[in-house]
Amino acid sequence: MADFKSNVRSHTVGTTAVVYASDYLNKLTGERIERECKKQLDSGARALVIDFSDTELVNSIGISILLGIIDIAEKSGALVVFSDVNNETVQLFEMLGLTRHVVLAKDEEEALTTLSSSSKAMGH
Amino acid sequence: MSPRPQQERRILGRVKRAEFVGRDAELERILSLASHANSARAGGGLLILLAPLAGVSELMRQAYDQLFNAQSEAVPIYFSLPASDTTAVSAAIEFLNAFLAQYIAFRRNEPSLAQASLTMNDLVQLAPAADLDWIEQLVSAHNKQRFSSDERELVRFCLNAPRRVPSGNPQPYILFDAVKLANYDNEQVPFAGELIKALAGSPPFVLAGLRREIIREVEQAGIDYGTHEKVRLEPLAEAEARQLVASVARREGVAVSDECRDLLAQQFEGSPFLISAMLLAAREKHLALNSYFDCERLYVDELLGGRLNHYFTSVLENVAPEPIVRSALIRLLSESLRAGQRTASFAAWTRRLNLEAADVESILRSLHVQEIVNWDGETVDTQRGSGAWRDFVRSRFRLDALREPRALVVADLMSAALQRAPQTVARHYRRSASLPLRDVLQAFNYQRVPKVLFDYAAFAADYKGAPTEEIAARLEIDPQAMKLPQVFHTAHGVAFSAELKQFDEESCVVAHAFAGTSYTNENEVVWLTAKIDSKLEADADAVADWCNRLENLAQRSGFSRVQLWLIANEGFSVEASEKLRERGAYASSRMQFELLSAQLSEGLNKSTAAANNEYVFILPMGADNELLAAATAEQIARRLNFRPEAINQIKTAIVEACINASEHSLSPDQKIYQRFRVEDDKLVITISSRGILPASVEAREGRTHGKDAGVLEQRRGWGLKLIETLMDEVEFERVDEGTSLRMVKYLR
Repeated sequence: MADFKSNVRSHTVGTTAVVYASDYLNKLTGERIERECKKQLDSGARALVIDFSDTELVNSIGISILLGIIDIAEKSGALVVFSDVNNETVQLFEMLGLTRHVVLAKDEEEALTTLSSSSKAMGH
Repeated sequence: MSPRPQQERRILGRVKRAEFVGRDAELERILSLASHANSARAGGGLLILLAPLAGVSELMRQAYDQLFNAQSEAVPIYFSLPASDTTAVSAAIEFLNAFLAQYIAFRRNEPSLAQASLTMNDLVQLAPAADLDWIEQLVSAHNKQRFSSDERELVRFCLNAPRRVPSGNPQPYILFDAVKLANYDNEQVPFAGELIKALAGSPPFVLAGLRREIIREVEQAGIDYGTHEKVRLEPLAEAEARQLVASVARREGVAVSDECRDLLAQQFEGSPFLISAMLLAAREKHLALNSYFDCERLYVDELLGGRLNHYFTSVLENVAPEPIVRSALIRLLSESLRAGQRTASFAAWTRRLNLEAADVESILRSLHVQEIVNWDGETVDTQRGSGAWRDFVRSRFRLDALREPRALVVADLMSAALQRAPQTVARHYRRSASLPLRDVLQAFNYQRVPKVLFDYAAFAADYKGAPTEEIAARLEIDPQAMKLPQVFHTAHGVAFSAELKQFDEESCVVAHAFAGTSYTNENEVVWLTAKIDSKLEADADAVADWCNRLENLAQRSGFSRVQLWLIANEGFSVEASEKLRERGAYASSRMQFELLSAQLSEGLNKSTAAANNEYVFILPMGADNELLAAATAEQIARRLNFRPEAINQIKTAIVEACINASEHSLSPDQKIYQRFRVEDDKLVITISSRGILPASVEAREGRTHGKDAGVLEQRRGWGLKLIETLMDEVEFERVDEGTSLRMVKYLR
């Protein structure tokens, strides 16, 4: 079920939280996603999918916040998948080395499938 | 016979308008100010700040004649302070007399009255009916005032006489030639102060005088210097000086060869006074000036006994009225003109002149005003004054102090002048033909220019032999660019090193500059540039000699960061180029230098032409306004047919640049200034803001250490990294505050 309390759309599928980024990922919207992700992890989520299907533009502050989210998730032992990222944004992620720390999926469905396979492989 | 047209009447002018050489702009300034004479917004006056010997009286006389002949509302009044043998009181009374005579002459449209010798009573008799009342009252008041014992009050009365013209009558426009103002320094009455206050009280006016003196006196009189317009009058430029020689010679009927014309223009450094003095002397002595010998013989005669002698003697007598002091002063000046004794301390002058400090101060102030010395309160620099002045001082010392036979002094002076004449003219010809090295360096102001213009070897390999048009076209698209520094001071090398005296003054220039975006010690760099005189490619030995010479200069001057740049007409041999590369020196041929010079000149014109293809937006910081900037850039980029991928790259870069600009927490106006300039093959975007420099930029400039910054700070530096990756050219431009980021994206 969708949760709009933090102005960030999200829902959970089992132990995976799916968080939706807005059309412009900057400091403000990045921090909202970060807060939502932390909340989901605190609530027992074992994996995060951040969906960029609405995102047209990202800036470097937004990207640095995403890296912070990846750090937090790693510390919690959670996996992170980015889904539906447009080509230009992928280029930026590559330029700044983000793609070394995160899996990219074509869409949310592929992200959930990827996580499900990983989870089984890890014996969760 | 028809009457002479009014426009042509010569009244105070010594020459016809057509014979008056140069100073057109200055004349126009004086004439245009006259229109304010009867307006309510009279504003300030015009200060003509004169270099010594630059000459101003004919300029003012010409202005007078034009205003008189125009017979408009402004009544011109020209007055020149008498040179000597007069007091402040008599000068003031003379002024009053001239004022009334010229006012009445104008009102009656009778030029002859302007210079007539008339008593006050005569003037009252001649006053037109419309002016009779106030002139009668003025003369009557003056008759009472002149018998009072208060001299200062009398001077003030006379100088303020123009204010007594009733407001309904045409107002006077005073043209005051105060070049001799220094002669009134020792008066009991503070003449300069009274004069300046009187003029300032009845604008508009023109006050001409020696620049150092006028500035000082205006400030001392408590008058706001900034409220007055200024015209700086320098000696004539070379072409005008030659024209003046020809014009005066023609008028005075003196035959002058072209060679002598050039010599006189050069030897007297464009001084109208000295040039005219020489030609008048030639006329009086019925001499033709057809050879250097003719010129120098006349020069020596004039210097030791003619007009030049009279002028320089009067300067000296005014500076030091006491013969004993004057004699000591000549000795001191003569000795200090010798090589290696350029400067001396105030204390040394006090000891040598054996005078009280106040008296030495007075002498130095007078010499400083005449620009015979430079005196900053402590150090006295004596390497000033015209060449003729220096000859005068040396010869006076030998005649008066050393008591050498006059014949010997004349012979030596003549010999030296004859030896110097061809050198003087040769120096002029060389200067005319030489590269304007100093001008080009002065134009350095962070422009981007093709790097190859400073690398002769690369230029020779890629461009040598190609037609000039082709070279210029190819340079336009040369991708290897370098950014010039901002030069803030240039001087000839000889000002730093006496060793360079053996070369032509123009052959070496020292330019202090800043590279980078901020004025810091680290960014300061001194360009040491030299032109190598060589008909062929300069060889390795010549290059090594110049590099050593310049490096020695840098070491002695304490320059920590230098850039050598050598220029040779035909470029450099392979070995020389190798040596230049080893020493990190730039090298250019004459052609490269000319191309560079052309690019710098073009830059000025381009900026105007570019305005038509330029879009400027100002956005407030914050509220995701960078998206508006990105959207604007998108629209412009679409017009230029950029590919969608490139458009997204531009948008992202602009967003990052705006974020950088917004990070100025102390930005006073909280605005982001954006300039989009469309050029043939590229879009140039400049994002700037006011305020303090962001830490990320400082780190880039090496002012903070990136390794000490935390992870977050490092990540915050990603913006610049992204911009550099996404755009084709990125650089910070020099701005006084805040930052200005220039980004270029090429159409591919």
